[in-house]
Amino acid sequence: MRRRIDPVALLALPAAAYLLFAYGWPLAALLVRSVHGPGGFSLAPFAAFLSDPFSWRVIGNTLSTAGLTTLVCLAVGYPAALALAWSRGIVQVVLLLSIILPLSVGVVVKAYAWQIVLRRDGIVSQALVGLGLWSEPQRLLFTETGLVIGAANVFLPFMILPIYSVIRLLDPRLRAAAATLGATPLHRFLRVTLPLTLPGIVSGIAFVFSLAVSMYVVPSLVIGDRYQTLATLTGRAFLFMRNEELGSTTAVLLLAMAVSIVVGSTALARRLGSTG
Amino acid sequence: MAAFLDVAGAEKRFGSTTVLGGVDLAVARGEFISLLGPSGCGKTTLLRMVAGLLAPDRGRIVLDGRDLTTTPPHRRDVSVVFQSYALFPHLTVAENVAFGLKARRRPAAEVAATVARFLGLVQMAGFADRPIRALSGGQQQRVAVARALAVQPKVMLLDEPFSALDRKLRETMQIDLKRLLRELGTTSVFVTHDQDEALTMSDRIAVMNRGAIEQFADPVTIYRRPATAFALGFVGLSSRFDGTVTASEGGIITVATPAGSLRAPGRFLPGSPVVLGIRPERMALGDGADGPDRNGLDATLVEVAFQGARAHLYLAVGGGTVVTVEAPEVPAGAAPGAPVRLSFAVADMLAYPADPDPALLAAAA
Repeated sequence: MRRRIDPVALLALPAAAYLLFAYGWPLAALLVRSVHGPGGFSLAPFAAFLSDPFSWRVIGNTLSTAGLTTLVCLAVGYPAALALAWSRGIVQVVLLLSIILPLSVGVVVKAYAWQIVLRRDGIVSQALVGLGLWSEPQRLLFTETGLVIGAANVFLPFMILPIYSVIRLLDPRLRAAAATLGATPLHRFLRVTLPLTLPGIVSGIAFVFSLAVSMYVVPSLVIGDRYQTLATLTGRAFLFMRNEELGSTTAVLLLAMAVSIVVGSTALARRLGSTG
Repeated sequence: MAAFLDVAGAEKRFGSTTVLGGVDLAVARGEFISLLGPSGCGKTTLLRMVAGLLAPDRGRIVLDGRDLTTTPPHRRDVSVVFQSYALFPHLTVAENVAFGLKARRRPAAEVAATVARFLGLVQMAGFADRPIRALSGGQQQRVAVARALAVQPKVMLLDEPFSALDRKLRETMQIDLKRLLRELGTTSVFVTHDQDEALTMSDRIAVMNRGAIEQFADPVTIYRRPATAFALGFVGLSSRFDGTVTASEGGIITVATPAGSLRAPGRFLPGSPVVLGIRPERMALGDGADGPDRNGLDATLVEVAFQGARAHLYLAVGGGTVVTVEAPEVPAGAAPGAPVRLSFAVADMLAYPADPDPALLAAAA
């Protein structure tokens, strides 16, 4: 049988053409620059970068903030997605609005807001002291904890919405069937709801991790220059250090991470989806 | 006989709508009963209450001497076969059947043996490791039955489990399921809107209408002696005559109907509005020689429906009424427009007080 291109795929042509022009071309230029030194093709910039212990700390920072942010989003977002999917009427509308509306607030605004909230005399510090959990006011601003809190706030909707859309499609009779078969609420959740919502969890993790691994504005404003991630280092390399070689090297590493996350999670979600 | 499952005064309202208005239902141990009625009659609501998936506003549910009214579903020992089967799509056939046993923390060896036994009982032994989506509708239904039975529930609830199957498969599955449940001695409550299904499978049928049980009796009584005009109209075919009693003597009433004057057994005061009914197989094409214990009507043949083993004749009688007559075969020379004479025994007539509710008339039509 001859393989032909599905004509429906042509509907994606304008978007594909735009992305090719506005995104693919500069990206290709970047890729070329990262492996093309004055003496022709060379992996030397990568070797140089990876042999520097500072680089490994930057990579470590990047992965740990992105990983922690993803975990916080999952821990907070999964129950929120359940509440959103299982609530009814006005409660559901309010929940949905409170998840979607913050998306309309710019990330710069949010980051500045967190600067205020996380200060030594900010509301978090005062509340924890007031509750007796902290003996004296402390500064969360410019700490990794503060960064994760701020980033989780910015990316939370990208965890909740994919999980919510999977839970919403879940047949409620499956839980009813599990209940009539003698399963306690916990057993129902662990054996029915959780495994069937894994595809949503996987795509939520992929969204949040790939956004958090490449975030620039939040770390710049919440933690500052002392704590570098691949994204902030890329920015610094191009904007302040004028070191295009370093910038394209870190950018390509970042890209490789993001691509492997997207490809890996898509494959995983597809496998989970086919059994589900 | 002491009731094994006893529902007393079960009531449910959604807003201002009464879905179930104080229903009583007593089921004996090992009995197979059907809740039969049109959609919206409250039969599924009643089933969900027994399963614990819906709390009654009022009333009690007692099973095997234990009050279950406020017990959550997972502590009731009541299994459900859902209309959509609700099989777990992420589990294999065997894992689905094992689900309830694992939830009860039975030892692994016992789980495996029970799963094998029940998959065998529903003739699905060779499918244990298949994923659910690889099964046909009939196979999924068998797995759903095995899963519900494997926990050996005190009561098995079936919510229209055959409605997604085609007719031929449905009839085989009905017989198989009934035999299986009888062999296991499982008390069963079966919800259906299909009267044939209810008549085929049940020990007793509860005919439900507008949130109430109109009649609870064995299938033969339901068919031969429907307690209400609704039960007559909903179960089996019947012809219906609305009229007013003109005379009443010795347990026989004479009723003026648009089709003509008819007599029926019954005790009504003259002037009462009544509904008369008769089954198609109790009517015959006569020769005009009506006896004193027979009704006779002149009619015109409208349509003949040949159905293989028998034929249904649709006849127009006076006043625009169309009646259905069942004949062993299509009469010779039967053509639409032919005049015929109808004859039927007075004793076979059923008489009910007329219900002024138009919804009921529509349901019975």
